[in-house]
Amino acid sequence: MMITKDFSKKRLIILALLLAGLSVIPHVSGLSTITLFSRIFIMAIYAMSYDILRGYMGFINLGHAMFFGTGAYAVGVMFRNFGSTLPVFLIAIVFSVVFSSIAAFIMGKIVFRSGGKGPVVVVAGAMTTLALGEIVRHTAERWRSVTMGADGLSYRIPEIFSNRILFYYYALIFMIVMTLVLRQFVLSPTGRVLMSIRENEQRAEFLGYDTQKYKLIGLQVAGIASGLSGVMFGVLNRFANTELLSVQQTLNALLMTLVGGTGTLYGAIIGSGFVNIVQSQLLNFRSVHPVFERWLLFFGAMYVIVVIFMPRGFVGLYYTLTDKQKAKVQKSAVGKS
Amino acid sequence: MDIFITLVINGLAQGALLFLLASGLSIILGLMGVVNFTHGTLFIWGGYVYIWIFTLTDSFLLGILAAVGVTFLMGVFFEKFFVSRVYGNVPAQILITLGLQVIFTDLVRLIWGATPLTIGRPDFLADTWIVGGIVIVQYRVFLIAVGVIVAFGIHLLLNKTKIGMIVRAGVQRPDMVRALGININTYFTFVFAGGAALAGLGGALYAPLVGSMASTAGMHNQVLAFIVVVVGGMGSFMGSAGGSVLLGLMGSGIAWFAPGFASVANVGLMAIVLAFKPSGLFGLAVKK
Repeated sequence: MMITKDFSKKRLIILALLLAGLSVIPHVSGLSTITLFSRIFIMAIYAMSYDILRGYMGFINLGHAMFFGTGAYAVGVMFRNFGSTLPVFLIAIVFSVVFSSIAAFIMGKIVFRSGGKGPVVVVAGAMTTLALGEIVRHTAERWRSVTMGADGLSYRIPEIFSNRILFYYYALIFMIVMTLVLRQFVLSPTGRVLMSIRENEQRAEFLGYDTQKYKLIGLQVAGIASGLSGVMFGVLNRFANTELLSVQQTLNALLMTLVGGTGTLYGAIIGSGFVNIVQSQLLNFRSVHPVFERWLLFFGAMYVIVVIFMPRGFVGLYYTLTDKQKAKVQKSAVGKS
Repeated sequence: MDIFITLVINGLAQGALLFLLASGLSIILGLMGVVNFTHGTLFIWGGYVYIWIFTLTDSFLLGILAAVGVTFLMGVFFEKFFVSRVYGNVPAQILITLGLQVIFTDLVRLIWGATPLTIGRPDFLADTWIVGGIVIVQYRVFLIAVGVIVAFGIHLLLNKTKIGMIVRAGVQRPDMVRALGININTYFTFVFAGGAALAGLGGALYAPLVGSMASTAGMHNQVLAFIVVVVGGMGSFMGSAGGSVLLGLMGSGIAWFAPGFASVANVGLMAIVLAFKPSGLFGLAVKK
C-alpha cells in the first residue's frame, strides 16, 4: 500500500469519471449539499496535512488547529479591516503561509529539541503541542479588539466568492491542486527521508541525514497546507471563532485521517467525506427523534468503533480485501499448474 | 497579610482538588503509558452522582461513597473493554479515550440535563471561622485535609504494600514484571479504576465548593490536571503532589492579582517546563 509515481490507465479512467461526477453535483443538488461538499474538499486538505505528520512522520500534534484557525482568522480580520476585495484575500494567503511556516518552525524547535525515542517522546510531544495550541487559542480569546474573543468574528467576503456554486468549483480545484502538491512532496526525496525517520530514526541518522531538519521541513509543509485550508474554510464559513483553534478541531483531523487510513494521503479525502457526511446527517436527524439532540453520543461512538474495528481505516480495509483477492488468484493459479 | 493567608488557603484547597485528578492521571500515564482523556468525564460523573445521591438522602458520606463507587466501576469498564485493546498505540489511545469522554459527557446531559445543577455545602461544613480578623472557609480546610490524607494513603499504598511495589516496578519495567510471572494486566485494571475513583472523588468534592456542577467542567479541569502532570513529572506521584500545590497556589494568586492571565499563565508554565526541563520539576526521569 504505497503511493506510486505511475498512474495506470484504469486508475486514470476512474479518476476522470469521479471528477466528472463531482463537477455535475452542484447542478443537480440543493444548496446544503453544495456547501457540505465544499466543506468536505477543504477539510480533506486539512486532514491530509495532518496525515503528513501522523502517517509519514509518526508525530502526534495536538496543536495542529493553530495553523488552520489562524488561516481562517487571517481572512476574517483582514476582510473586516481592509475591505472584502481579492487583493486582500491574496495578502491573507501570504500572511497565512508566512505565519504557518514561522509557527511550525518554532513549534518544531521546541518539540524536536529533546532527543530520545519510544512512546514517552510521543506523549511528551503531544503534551507540548497541546500546550502551544492552547496558548494560541487563549491569546485569540483575550485579544478581543482584533478577534472579537469568544463571540466569534463575522465578515463579508469578496463578490466572486459569494456564489456557492462557483465556490464549490474553487474548493474542488483547491483540493486537487493541494493533493497533487502534497503527493509530490511525499514522493520527493525529502518525503522518502521522512518515511525512513518514521520507520527508524536512529538508522536514518546513521545514514547521515540531519533528521531534525527534515522533521522541521515536514512540519512546515503540513503547517502551510493546514493554514491554506483554514483560509479557504474562512471564506466558506464567513465566520471564525476560537472553536477553530481548539483541541477539538485538531482531533477532528486525527479522526478523519484515522477513518480514511493513516499514511495513505488519499485516505484523508475519504475520511473527510465520511466524517462530514455523518456529522451533517446526525444534525439532520435531530428533527426526527429527540435523542439526536445528543448527537455527540453517536459521534463519540464513531471514534471508539473506528479504533477498535477499523484501525487502518477505509483505505486499509480496501487494501486488505484486494490483497486477499490477489492471494486467492495466485493460489488457484498455483493449484492449476 | 490577611489576603495573603486567604489566598494560600484557597490555593491549597484548589491544589488538593487538582491533586485528586492529577495523581491518577500521572500513575496511569507512568504505568500504562496511556494519555487518559476520560478523566474529565469521570470528574463530572463524580460530581453529578454526588449531587443526585445527596439531594435524595441528604447524606454527605453516602453521596461521596456513591460517587467513588460509580466512577470506580466506570474505570473498570473503560479499561477492560476499551483501553486494554490499544496498549502501546498512543494515537489509538487518545482517540478511544476521547471518544469515551465525548459519549459519557453527553450521557450526563441526557440524564441530568444540559443546564448546571446547583448544590449547597453540607451543614457541618457550611460555616466559616474568623481567626484574628481572617475569614477561613471550613470547606476549604476540609478539602486540604482530604488532600493530605489521600496523598498520605497513596504514599503508603505505593511504598509499603506489595501491590504498590508491583505498580512501582511496573512503571519502570513492565516487561520485567511480566517475566517474573506477575499478571500485570490485573494491576492495570486496578490502577486505572483507582485513578478513576480519585477523579470521581475530586468531582464530588468540587461540586459543593463551587456550588454547582456543569457538564463543561470536565474538559477544563482535565487540561489543568494534564498541566500538573507535565509540570510535576510524568508518572511521578510526588511530582503530581508538588505540581498540584504549585498550580493551585499560582492559580489563586493570579486570580487575585491579574485575573485575565489565569489560563495563559498555567499553559505558559507548562510550555516553559517542557522546553527546559522535560522530565518535570519534581519528578525523576522515568526510563522506558
